Amino acid sequence: MQSRFPGRLLPYLLLSPSVVIVIVFLIIPSIQSLYYSFFRVSPFGDRLVYVAFDNFIKLLNPDYLNSFIVTLVFTGAIVVIGLAVCLALALVANQKVAGIGLYRTALIWPYALSPAVAGTIWALVFDPSTGAFSYFISLVSGTMPNWRTNGTFAVVVITLAAMWKMVGYNVIFFLAGLQTIPRELIEASEIDGAGALTRFLKITFPLLSPMTLFLLIMNTLYGFFQVFGLIDVMTEGGPARATEVLVYKLYYDGFISLKTGYASAQSIVLFVFVAGLTLLQFRFAKRWVFYQ
Amino acid sequence: MKENRYFVLILAGLLVAAFAVGITSTAAQAVTKITFWHAMSAKRMPAVNRIVEGFNATHPDIKVEPQFSGKYKEVLAKAIAAARGGSPPHIVQVYEVGTQTMLDSGAIVPIFKIAKPGEIDWGDIIVPIKDYYAVDGKLYSMPFNSSTSILYYNKDLFRKAGLDPTKPPTTFAEMEKIGEKIVKSGVAPNAVSFGWPDWQFEQMHTLHQQFYADHQNGRAGRATKVFGNREFGVRVVSEWTKWAKKGVFLYGGPEYSANKAFLAQKIAMLYQSTSSVGSITKAAKFEVGTSFLPRLQGYPRGNTVIGGATLWTMKGHSQKEYDAVWEFYKYLVRPEVSAQWHKDTGYFPSTNSAVKLLMDQGWFSEHPNHLTAFLEILTGVKVPASQGVRLGPFVAIRQAFRTALEKSVEGKLSPQEAMDEYAAEANRLLKEYNELYQ
Repeated sequence: MQSRFPGRLLPYLLLSPSVVIVIVFLIIPSIQSLYYSFFRVSPFGDRLVYVAFDNFIKLLNPDYLNSFIVTLVFTGAIVVIGLAVCLALALVANQKVAGIGLYRTALIWPYALSPAVAGTIWALVFDPSTGAFSYFISLVSGTMPNWRTNGTFAVVVITLAAMWKMVGYNVIFFLAGLQTIPRELIEASEIDGAGALTRFLKITFPLLSPMTLFLLIMNTLYGFFQVFGLIDVMTEGGPARATEVLVYKLYYDGFISLKTGYASAQSIVLFVFVAGLTLLQFRFAKRWVFYQ
Repeated sequence: MKENRYFVLILAGLLVAAFAVGITSTAAQAVTKITFWHAMSAKRMPAVNRIVEGFNATHPDIKVEPQFSGKYKEVLAKAIAAARGGSPPHIVQVYEVGTQTMLDSGAIVPIFKIAKPGEIDWGDIIVPIKDYYAVDGKLYSMPFNSSTSILYYNKDLFRKAGLDPTKPPTTFAEMEKIGEKIVKSGVAPNAVSFGWPDWQFEQMHTLHQQFYADHQNGRAGRATKVFGNREFGVRVVSEWTKWAKKGVFLYGGPEYSANKAFLAQKIAMLYQSTSSVGSITKAAKFEVGTSFLPRLQGYPRGNTVIGGATLWTMKGHSQKEYDAVWEFYKYLVRPEVSAQWHKDTGYFPSTNSAVKLLMDQGWFSEHPNHLTAFLEILTGVKVPASQGVRLGPFVAIRQAFRTALEKSVEGKLSPQEAMDEYAAEANRLLKEYNELYQ
């Protein structure tokens, strides 16, 4: 049965808050960014010099390309390694074991922390001179890893921290997905003599594919946009730009170095890239995602 | 159907009510409220609050509302956003590297425009502070927290390593020798680290009477180039890189992040702002010594340079509010207020009268580490090269320097290559910035 709204005004009125929010906080700033990306802007925005595509051409410099590569490596690791680990954890957490509630809560915990708090914890644990982790490493290997100077190690620490932060989120969704898999299918396969691995590959994984696609997209977006807090607290993009992902570079150039025009150009590129990536994932997904 | 209409009515009513509350609350304002955004974290925050509370208690018609708004760079970004959005605070604390940005902003009211003649004795302001911030002899912002860089060292570790705790290094060569001894003796894994590494590089220039940028450090006209890749700058970075290779120097990251290693006795020496003198002496579980920054031999003597921040008054407020701001500034330079600020934090008091007051109270003889920075900056040579650097895109230039130093220390680039890369980037930033103001 379909019920109709009384009057013509009410539906628009009820929709208006979200429309206003989208216009004020998304559409207008996007248009402004596009506009500013063709200018060089003074810090206080009182002076504009038209530079045509100069800001975009400047993006071809090694610093930006480096930032691009760092982002891809970083997001790739979060998506591939992170999701694999989380799926394994979810499979384990889906067993009927005593105290499972406790394990599940513990797994979900990291997601409840704000990025700033998570970053502070990791920075403390991995602090080159006072951190507990650094201490153990130095006991075992005799040398002290220092992510303030060693770029590769910095990337590893940030990636681990970012993956750890997403464990809760990913595990919850995988668990939810696992619980929707009908018992009959599993039982039927058991009767047919399928082993645990076959069962996972032929039943669990395909039936989980819509959830996996969703998490793939969410984790990609996370890798691109939401690791800002961790990086800001831990490395500020250093050492020597080793952890300067695109979104951190954008923030730094826009809000710290106060180059609004250049940062606007970066935001346009980032927008196009992420939109493209998401579309690609959806298109690609049609081939292998199995909706029940 | 009817319920829906009521719902709409209630919504509309709430909106009207919200507006009404907004209007009445502004109309009911009898005391002048002054918003003050600052970046004083940790032990510095209660010190700021103490000043503000003292002021509010003695000025019932004014209420200064301090608001901690993040690190220096975040406060500046926030102030810019607020100014662009048309609702700037009255007072913003901006770090010394933001000075040129603020002067160019068109969003500030210079202090000499709100000052009432004769009410603050400008001659009483400590000379290096006035020199740093004055433009053509005029102050545009109110001196508040000024510091310089000093050498902190751990006397206990010196003793354990068999070194004389009354003889901290005075030259680069001594630093290297003492550093090696500390590392070899095994009392600490590394010997020395820096707070604000970019600022320390500026300190090295002023300390050896070297210009950091052309046009007299951007004070005689807009700077167009930095000199970091010349002989002197490369020499300094080469020394630091050499120390790093020997394990003497531990690169400690930006701002105050190296303090932790010093307090944990993982290093025995630290170049850091004098503003940490209060927190370091309080937190250290060892005897802290302080001294002047070590020098390179064979270069003329200059002076260390001022760091810290000043208070800027933003445009867009009423005369009554500016009068209130002026009252607050007058309160800040009162000798007892300025002296307390120094005791709480280690920042210089802004006036000579406050220094005299501290001396009369016997403060310096009881707290000799608080005296070091004064002696260092007041015994230096007053030359244009040591007055301080003024660059438009200074924040970005500092980041470019840190990146280059990290590359050099890590061994990715030679010191010369790293400094060339830094200079090219800095010069490009200067050119782009200057084009905005042609």
